[in-house]
Amino acid sequence: MSPRRDTRVIERWIAICFAVSILAALGLFAVYAAGGQTQAEGALLALALGGVGVGLLLWAKRLMADIAHETQPRHRPPGAAELESAAEAIEDGVDEIRRRRFLTRMLIGAAGALGLAALFPIRSLGQAPGDSLLVTDWSPGARLVTADGEPVTVDTLETNSFITVFPDGFVGSADSQAVLIRVEPDQLQLPPDRAAAAPDGLVVYSKICTHAGCPLGLYLAATQELRCPCHQSTFDVLDGARPVYGPAPRPLPQLPIEIGDDGILRATGDFTEPVGPSFWDMPS
Amino acid sequence: MTTRAEARLLSKILRIGLLLAVLGQVAWSFRPTPNRALTDEERVGQELYQANCSTCHGLDGLGTDNGPSLAETGPAAVDFMLSTGRMPLANPADQPLRGEPKFSPGEIEAIAAYLAALVPGGEPIPAVDTSQGDLVRGAALFLENCAGCHGAGGSGDSVGGGQIAPSLTAADPVQIAEAIRVGPGVMPRFGPETLDQDDLDSIARYLVWIRSNADEGGAQLGRVGAVAEGLVAVVIGLGLLILILRLTGSKL
Amino acid sequence: MIVRRAVDGIDERLGATSFVKRNLRKVFPDHWSFMLGELALYSFVLLILTGIFLSFFYVASSSETVYLGPYAPMHGQTVSQAYGSVLRLSFEVRAGLVMRQTHHWAALIFMASVVAHVVRVFFTGAFRKPREISWLIGIGLLIGGIAAGFSGYSLPDDLLSGTGLRIIYSAVLSIPLVGTWLAFLLFGGEFPSPELLPRLFVMHILLIPLALLSLLGAHLALVWHQTHTQFRGPGTTEDTVTGIPVWPRFALKGIGVALMTFAVIAMLGGLAQINPVWLYGPFVAYTAPAPAQPDFYVGWLEGLLRLWPNWEFTLFGRTVGELFLPAVVVPGIIFTALALWPFAEARVRRDTATHHYAQRPREAPVRSAVGAAGIAMFIVLMLAGSNDVLAKYLQIEVDTLNSVLLVLLFVLPVVVGLLTFWICRDLGRREVRPIEAPPRVALRRTADGGFEATHVPHGEREEAP
Repeated sequence: MSPRRDTRVIERWIAICFAVSILAALGLFAVYAAGGQTQAEGALLALALGGVGVGLLLWAKRLMADIAHETQPRHRPPGAAELESAAEAIEDGVDEIRRRRFLTRMLIGAAGALGLAALFPIRSLGQAPGDSLLVTDWSPGARLVTADGEPVTVDTLETNSFITVFPDGFVGSADSQAVLIRVEPDQLQLPPDRAAAAPDGLVVYSKICTHAGCPLGLYLAATQELRCPCHQSTFDVLDGARPVYGPAPRPLPQLPIEIGDDGILRATGDFTEPVGPSFWDMPS
Repeated sequence: MTTRAEARLLSKILRIGLLLAVLGQVAWSFRPTPNRALTDEERVGQELYQANCSTCHGLDGLGTDNGPSLAETGPAAVDFMLSTGRMPLANPADQPLRGEPKFSPGEIEAIAAYLAALVPGGEPIPAVDTSQGDLVRGAALFLENCAGCHGAGGSGDSVGGGQIAPSLTAADPVQIAEAIRVGPGVMPRFGPETLDQDDLDSIARYLVWIRSNADEGGAQLGRVGAVAEGLVAVVIGLGLLILILRLTGSKL
Repeated sequence: MIVRRAVDGIDERLGATSFVKRNLRKVFPDHWSFMLGELALYSFVLLILTGIFLSFFYVASSSETVYLGPYAPMHGQTVSQAYGSVLRLSFEVRAGLVMRQTHHWAALIFMASVVAHVVRVFFTGAFRKPREISWLIGIGLLIGGIAAGFSGYSLPDDLLSGTGLRIIYSAVLSIPLVGTWLAFLLFGGEFPSPELLPRLFVMHILLIPLALLSLLGAHLALVWHQTHTQFRGPGTTEDTVTGIPVWPRFALKGIGVALMTFAVIAMLGGLAQINPVWLYGPFVAYTAPAPAQPDFYVGWLEGLLRLWPNWEFTLFGRTVGELFLPAVVVPGIIFTALALWPFAEARVRRDTATHHYAQRPREAPVRSAVGAAGIAMFIVLMLAGSNDVLAKYLQIEVDTLNSVLLVLLFVLPVVVGLLTFWICRDLGRREVRPIEAPPRVALRRTADGGFEATHVPHGEREEAP
């Protein structure tokens, strides 16, 4: 094919591309006026943009092929003389200031102090941690309630079942979230001082994973394990939520509970340890 | 014409045979059955059970080395396992997964009826009416109780120990309710005190609804989330663009 | 005529004619791999354009409100204003969902092309003197991009992204000495704080974009001023650059590539669902969905967290949290190593010369081997981050997969590195594809019947006789 007919074919194709783009843009307008539809909007946008895009690329690649490659010099580094004069110009200015030694030192002192002062507003951005990480909203006598606010009684749960619980009045509290599990009483292997805190096979652990803080959602009844969906840390429910697999380093803190005379479950204190992942000033 | 010795032998054989047959009948009559006559349906169920299930679950339904006891499991579990094709399970070591059900609904009913007579107890088949369910409550309950294993879009996930919380896209409302009540495999169970009948209706309604309603954005990419999205972005998005670059620019 | 008058007018006011003329005639080499950075640039432009639209509708507040919009499963639910505004944007604002999805897909394409571009620069040695500063700026852009993406998809305040925020909060907490103070400072108090969302919003639409724009400006200015690297070829030298001039050919190509980038991203934005926050539900602190992964450019960090053993130790009687090493120290080491690479390589090779040639990977076998090993490690970490999804689809145990990946993490990079080294050295020796393309010759018949051969430079068409 001669170069001129070649060009005509390409020109035609480019024109078709631009025409497709125009039609797509009109279609976009119509779709939008009719109320919009996500898939149509995306497809038409793609066509409208792509039509011009393909056209321009064809133009640049095929119709402008006669614009040849050129060679140009790169940036030439300055000669030694120019480097020398530039360095001198800067040094002269610095020397002029440093002639006044005492004032220069005072200036540096002032700049330093001002710089430090400018950092102070950053402190306003946060609160002091205080003991926030060491206490939760659980207190002795607090009733256990579900996410709906219903008090949890000794009959609420069947064996091999679990439910998320909060202290009464603090439903949804992030640091107080706990999981109540019911197992066969003789299956629990808690140390003696903690066994009394889990009456009748009902044991409560913090729901916050001690690895990275995700709420533990998976209770595997068949193996009596609690598993975290984020990084697969697994805890042994029967053995004080000791970590048996995964990156979690510490067991889940236990919440000591008792069965009240009215059958309602109540906490007898806060968690045995700080909840959640470890931090520097965590009491060991 | 037989001799007298041969005739005596023949009669001995016949008499022993008759004795064995009678003893066999007696022994057979002591096999585990409900303490009453079986109905026709239960008889059908009995045949199916003994042919397909008893090798692992025992003729008495109380289990063997290969399969657990079916006592206290109830019709809900039976219906769930059979109607989702999880049972019969060819290899007892595998996790039961959804497949083509081997039995027709009538046969499943028969087996369930027989087992209810053989090993009574357990969860009855729950009634589910999705039209009575509340979509909003169903969404909230699902996200709180189920999404941690089954995924926010019901796509399923592995839960460790070689077990998988399966995708929920194929389960019908009754099967959903059965699984919630029974807690098959490693799944915990939720009794009426934790999730009542309204809750079952609502969760089932929500799960059915999101099958065909929550994909305004386009292709759902398996509802798996960032993994699929990243794959699409790199392979399809960047791939297409690099193709365009190679067509546009020069090569060495 | 108009152009003449415009040029006159501009020159009278700015005196800039020669500046404009010089720069419009500037040449750029047009190898296709040099345009990967452009992909990132154009994705970034699209991010800004779509982002401006989104910022008119998003409400950066954790205050509770009741959602009363058309998405049925959330109707009547108490949600944060942020979450409600994103639902409204997705279901009630015309073109809202396509804008939101295009924005998110553009972010993924941006990060993917930045990584591709960094890989290209690394394997071609284009970071060598005098371009070390561009490299450092580039690493800054990479980190800024990750920060922008993470803060961005945390804005809808949905269950999945909120879980991710919790993990970062725990990582900051684990820092020795200052961890608790720093976490409370950055997050506005104990997690989840109502101050967090507005802060993320400011980070995402103001602070990070400002930083990115400044870095990007410097990056482009440096490329312009220092001129682009190029591969060896006929007619090329160290001190010259051979390519096509900016105006009109390179500019038109650039605009064309920009439009195609927009087109591909827009196609994904309309046809492929991304981050369906209505399915995840509003963030509550006491439940998390699974599978739970961050966007892919944070996937390597997720993999580190899943594979890292549960080591925790005490220092001076205080606890160094398990997260500190995999979530803070290791990423710090990786990015520092990346940033310092040009200087380290120059030191090791005792190479203080300026380089304007881009190398082919085979010319630097050790560097290519290290790069390939790094990519292999990155891929294993990404797989580890998606281990539960992988385990489900491959029907294998997650715990087994983790063990396999842990072994692969150390073995695969070594294997890949060695293989790469040997292949590069082998190719370099054998000159299978010669670095210089063979010359093209045009034959012409002369009047007296002989032949005349003329050399045709690459990129030019032969003229018709």
